[in-house]
Amino acid sequence: MGGFQTIFYISILFFIVMLVLKMAKIARMPLHLRWDLYPIPHEKGKGEYGGSYFEDADWWTKPANSSMFSELKEMAKEIIFIQSLFNNNRFLWIFSFPFHFGMYCLIGFIFLLVFGAILAAAGIGISGASTSGLAVVVYHLTVIIGTIGWILAIVGALGLLICRLFWGEIHKSTVRSDYSNLLFLLAVFVAGFVSWLTVDPGYSILRGFVRNLITFKAIGTLPTAVTVQLWVTAALLFYYPFTHMTHLFGKYFTYHWIRWEDSPNVRGGKIEKAVSSSLGFRQNWSAPHIKTGGTWAEAATDEENNNG
Amino acid sequence: MRKTTMADSKINLKQFANAPGQLVRLDQSQFLPLPPPYDKLDLEPKLKPLSEEAREKYESDLDGVVTIKYPRPETEEEKQKLVEQFLAGLKKLFEKENNWTFLQPLFLTMEYCAKCQTCSKACPIYNESGRLDIYRPTYRADILRRLYKKYVKNGGKFFAKISGNDIDVTWRMIARLMELSYRCTICRRCAQTCPIGADNGLVTRELRKIFSQEMGINIDPLHKKGSVLQLKVGSSTGMAPEPFLDNIEFLEEEVEDRTGMKFKWPMDKAGADILLIHNAGEFLAWPENPEAFAIILEAAGINYTLSSDLVGYDSVNYGVWYDDVQFAKVAVKHAEVAKKLGVKKIVLGECGHAHKALTVIADRVFTGEFNIPRESSLTLINEIIKEGRLKLDPSRNDDITVTLHDPCNVVRLMGIVKPQREIIRAVCNHFREMTPHGVRNYCCGGGSGFAITQDLNFPEWREILSGRAKLRQILNVFQDIIGPEHKKYVCAPCSNCKGAMRDMFAAYGLFEKCNILYGGLVELVVNAMTDFDKPYIEWEWH
Repeated sequence: MGGFQTIFYISILFFIVMLVLKMAKIARMPLHLRWDLYPIPHEKGKGEYGGSYFEDADWWTKPANSSMFSELKEMAKEIIFIQSLFNNNRFLWIFSFPFHFGMYCLIGFIFLLVFGAILAAAGIGISGASTSGLAVVVYHLTVIIGTIGWILAIVGALGLLICRLFWGEIHKSTVRSDYSNLLFLLAVFVAGFVSWLTVDPGYSILRGFVRNLITFKAIGTLPTAVTVQLWVTAALLFYYPFTHMTHLFGKYFTYHWIRWEDSPNVRGGKIEKAVSSSLGFRQNWSAPHIKTGGTWAEAATDEENNNG
Repeated sequence: MRKTTMADSKINLKQFANAPGQLVRLDQSQFLPLPPPYDKLDLEPKLKPLSEEAREKYESDLDGVVTIKYPRPETEEEKQKLVEQFLAGLKKLFEKENNWTFLQPLFLTMEYCAKCQTCSKACPIYNESGRLDIYRPTYRADILRRLYKKYVKNGGKFFAKISGNDIDVTWRMIARLMELSYRCTICRRCAQTCPIGADNGLVTRELRKIFSQEMGINIDPLHKKGSVLQLKVGSSTGMAPEPFLDNIEFLEEEVEDRTGMKFKWPMDKAGADILLIHNAGEFLAWPENPEAFAIILEAAGINYTLSSDLVGYDSVNYGVWYDDVQFAKVAVKHAEVAKKLGVKKIVLGECGHAHKALTVIADRVFTGEFNIPRESSLTLINEIIKEGRLKLDPSRNDDITVTLHDPCNVVRLMGIVKPQREIIRAVCNHFREMTPHGVRNYCCGGGSGFAITQDLNFPEWREILSGRAKLRQILNVFQDIIGPEHKKYVCAPCSNCKGAMRDMFAAYGLFEKCNILYGGLVELVVNAMTDFDKPYIEWEWH
């Protein structure tokens, strides 16, 4: 097994471990105070106009009336079409949508490559002329989704790069790492596109590479274009967990744990337990109106430091 | 749209941190124009420059406006101390023991903002100013983010350099940031539009927390004359329990004079179903509002009580805007009063931030028997009307055209949208909505403590800028009947919103020029009650 193959394994492992650690860090943070923001789509019959259960008299005596379907519908619109950008920042959406949709295609492309590689390892050759109907479908889907993905992502990334470079408000707050994130992604997309265009139109070389990876077989010599593509991809896997691009995963928390999190605190329930635990944290804020060093419960009931 | 001026293009973060003197000079001619009859700049009130004395005394190097009244640091030691204290507070903001309350949402905002500026398009202050860069929601967030990345994260100093996030913390930066944290109403319109879910309104609040909780720096109306006074005396108005009871007696007499109804307001009644808590400012500034509540609840036969206990008669909780500890102290007091009275639920009068504070945010402060159900008065009044407990005739409001202002805290931040509309439709025939409304509304301009901040030249800044989007909405909704021959009413079911409107209407002469009055919701309800001969709403400026 060559050095590059080892590095690629490490990059995948690193990517997964770092991402899991980052998400776990967020998930393990203490339950925050309620900070919901309306509209909340799962409010059944109310979500569309921004209403909540607080509109109902004695709401705590009534069963929760929540609609998972409405929430999933809203999530789909937000994840797939980036609805909030479409509604509130249409010009940027023109580039952001193909950029993100292209990447979703590429994520699908990776799954198709892996699936194709598993089939190939099981002896089912993946090609347009295969006798297996499944293999033909996988082959064509991989080519179509992968190629659309590269093109959309390149167009989107270039558009976003131009916005960052020339659009006043965005340009003002853009820092070096914002450019490097986009350039890094653009390099991966362009490398993938060039590989497809020059040496790997059916993605058979890439599929072969994935097959060798998952079966732990040594990788032979690859065309230069594919080698470049894989090196850039490995580098991105090392880089990605440190960037704000992990918002692909972080967005789950901002929406589901904060913005749409409207679970009431019920006596004896999980929330009450978490709150009780946090009230026991010792804080050391230094302002004169705070009992420094005491627990939050003590600070909240402190009568001595009420003089400001 | 505002043209970018030389002065503007120079406002980079290095200058924010280092440039001496006032960073920005506000130019009203660059603000978005208003509709008639205020479509000429000379018809608008003007921002007064600070006096030389105030300028010398207080830090005003952001935009020449002062809220905090922070004395300019004189010595190098004072400047150094300011920096050290700020950095200590910054670190605490990202520690779970010190900031479990908002660590997760803050961390996510710091990590994931893509700087797409979608939030900028939603911010009324930024847009109304003609897009003055320092008011951009991401401007202050970018500063905090860079400071966080450099001074809080592991290896921050190294990574900040290579990522381009480098920033040097200076006393000037902190002094400006202090003021800048009071140029946002925390209406959270920006957060509502963020595709990622980042929250620049929260950034404002967390910045205020560093100053308040670590450095003891805050604005007097919120702290010294706000939550501190409330905890000490009983109310942020300075009204102690005894004068409060005297006041109630006076209001009982006033109700009798106005309506002929003679009844005692229930006070400290143990075992009542409901503890009703008003913003105590209502008793002094708009007594017709708690009086209308008393009339409705009496007429409907509701078993409720008021409290004369310390803090129990004032629903305000200014901590919600600047300080978690003060917030928790006041919330606990409210719960203690309700527990002592043994009520089934707490109902909040027409005060937006009190709704949000006690019903929503404090939901994760209360445990056990302190967790007493809390509800909006809008819901209660709506139920009373729907159950037919009041004799109403909406034609009694026919001489008034009504529009509804949505308080951010009740609507966008709590999801109470329909009850107030159902109430208005039940008592008024001439109702029209502003654009946008409901959860997409614009702040009155008085949010986050601005309505009660009356020092130096800040009130003028609020009147001409932070309330400008709301003023535009009001003028637009009544544009076809803008003349003084038509009576127009802006229904604002929130004490702070009313406070902001009172000052803004007065500054622009809105009542005299356009015959537009503002007021609460329950006043319209009582005005529609058939029990009385005279109209309840007195159509005069007060």
